[in-house]
Amino acid sequence: MRESNRSPVVEFDVFGSHTLADNNEAWDAARTQCPVGWTPSNGGHWVISGYEQVAEAFRNWEVFSSARTDPARSSISITAGRIPLLVPEELDPPEWHPVRRILAGQLAPAAAERLRPRARYWAHHCLDQVIESGRGELVTQLAFPVPAAVTLEWLGFPESDWEMMAQAFHDPAAHPAGSPEHTASFTAFATVSARVAEEVALRIDAPRDDGLTSIVQSELDGEQISSELAEALVFMTIGGGVDTTSALASAAVWHLDRNLDDRQRLLDEPDLLDAATEEFLRFYPPARTHARTVAQDAEFAGCPMRAGDRVLLSEVSAGRDPAAFPDADRFIIDRFPNRHLSFGAGIHRCPGSHLARITFAEIIRALLDRIPDYRLVHDEVVEYPNWWMIGGWAKLPAEFTPGPAGRATSGEGD
Amino acid sequence: MRVHVDVEKCTGHARCWSLAPEVYELDDLGYNVTPVKDVPPELAEAARKGALACPEQAITIEE
Repeated sequence: MRESNRSPVVEFDVFGSHTLADNNEAWDAARTQCPVGWTPSNGGHWVISGYEQVAEAFRNWEVFSSARTDPARSSISITAGRIPLLVPEELDPPEWHPVRRILAGQLAPAAAERLRPRARYWAHHCLDQVIESGRGELVTQLAFPVPAAVTLEWLGFPESDWEMMAQAFHDPAAHPAGSPEHTASFTAFATVSARVAEEVALRIDAPRDDGLTSIVQSELDGEQISSELAEALVFMTIGGGVDTTSALASAAVWHLDRNLDDRQRLLDEPDLLDAATEEFLRFYPPARTHARTVAQDAEFAGCPMRAGDRVLLSEVSAGRDPAAFPDADRFIIDRFPNRHLSFGAGIHRCPGSHLARITFAEIIRALLDRIPDYRLVHDEVVEYPNWWMIGGWAKLPAEFTPGPAGRATSGEGD
Repeated sequence: MRVHVDVEKCTGHARCWSLAPEVYELDDLGYNVTPVKDVPPELAEAARKGALACPEQAITIEE
């Protein structure tokens, strides 16, 4: 344990709650104690929970560094899990800048918009598989596969890889720490990395019209990027793009079962979906926290921070801060303005946010279009057991009025 | 009306553009690189909404 005169001290155990309700309550309690504080739990770390303070810390990369301190372990997750280096997220400037340009260009709003028809296709395709039976499991059969299909089809991975790759990122979030699935996911990352390396090598030899080729052919300082950097960028794109959007979609499926008035408003006013998407992001941020490491001694919000201190920034708590959002604990479907921090802020703002919004919107549009009367089978609903970083649902079994399949291939899906 | 964008603060959320694409233009990477722009009256409301939506609070409105 560190000798600590760090203050104020806040009682907060990031691993202490295992349900959405408990985790929200824990964050509300921490933020009410102090928007920035030091918790002695879990080896001791700073906890930043106020909206303004989270935003400021995200923007101040010179103090709150994303760079790895242990090459084997993630610096941006409080779990410090064993995962390959995430670039550009785990780089600070100046190395960050040219690498970020590559990913930002791949996933800019106009580029993401070109994938909307594919998101629509895959959402309808998934619903086609269940709609005639009147019953489906809306995580495994909708929220989980659609973001994976959109991302991995665009990159150019064969369909035989999709489930394995998506599962590798889903399992650490969807299963309890210590479970066989959770443990296996860390070896699964090695399998993902190996397949990424194979496909990157194939694209270097034989370019195609796909995202992998586009990343492989990117330039850094006027030269084609190394295969190592290309592999890291592809791994980051898969990791960032797959289970996060799934978690958000699962939250919306769950919410619209419990709040039928919100569902009816979306059915009556489809244009509300844009505002609703921001409110789903604020209320159910798929990435609830990120971690940073203090790079230089600094006073932040009156707190004495020392180089090497670990810091937990809470997107979810920022979104629940009544100082930033009136009626912060209420879901208001047409809330505006809604400057939530659920994609982060500052230089590491999620570059996949545009594609995430598009994929999410197409899932929800297809859901409400095809099975508008779905109801969850409540005693079979399973939340993620962990809410410290990625928060969502593992199982959402639903019943609905059966309808005709074949929509995705009819062309109407496009 | 005139909008001022602190392009140093822009990190490419593109919320301004999503609400007022005629007012806020993005570069190929999705960042707003236009520091000052005059806004015709018919786009004023959209411009205000775009400014309010910016998570980096990088946009100010000069009425």
